[in-house]
Amino acid sequence: MAIVIHLDELLHARRMTLTELSDRVDITLANLSILKTGKAKAIRFSTLEAICTALECQPGDLLAFDPSQPSQEK
Amino acid sequence: MAHRPDVLALTRSVLRGLVVLNALYALAIALLLVATLIAPDLLFRALVGLKGAGSWELHAALRAVVLIGIVGAYVVHRVLRELQAIADTVRDGDPFVADNARRLQAVAWWVLAGEGLRLVVGTIAWSVTRYVQPLQMHIGFSLAPWLTVLLLFVLARVFDEGTRMRADLEGTV
Repeated sequence: MAIVIHLDELLHARRMTLTELSDRVDITLANLSILKTGKAKAIRFSTLEAICTALECQPGDLLAFDPSQPSQEK
Repeated sequence: MAHRPDVLALTRSVLRGLVVLNALYALAIALLLVATLIAPDLLFRALVGLKGAGSWELHAALRAVVLIGIVGAYVVHRVLRELQAIADTVRDGDPFVADNARRLQAVAWWVLAGEGLRLVVGTIAWSVTRYVQPLQMHIGFSLAPWLTVLLLFVLARVFDEGTRMRADLEGTV
């Protein structure tokens, strides 16, 4: 997918595990894994807000557009 | 909520029973068709009485109706099979799938075909009365089956849209 998620890098920079983030943002580990591995089709603003609050970052730090990647299947 | 599985089990049992009954019905009609070929005089006298029993128009009409009856049994069989498949997905816990939308649409087409057959039988009965005594076939006309067809087509579309929306939601975090 052309939208790339930098969750792994953000977690690594903050020395935080996915499980810890899951506890802080109250989103299931399974859903965060889907997001981290780029398998998510959409992200709610509430999820984005919770992750940005927990990681003290901007949405742009988490998401990026890479046109060289194949676009999402419909 | 505890009653739901029982209702589902009952529905599946009823559907299985109807499939068997429909098969027996088809067999009986097939035997009737064979009888019209083996012993036509005896059978047609029994079916329509002495008056008009020897008319070839009547023989042809009744054979056509019997043939349509067999086709009708196949139509009912297809409807029951589609309903069984839908009931199976409910039992498996995942009925909101694209296949069920397709099945509902198939049921709508089959019901429409069944109504078309009813009209053909009515037309045959009407046309043959011009040659022989009035044929006692109570086909009648009812708006309900046609409305059912419309309802099934709409439901199939709703199901299709619902399935797509669920697929979208599944990938949302």
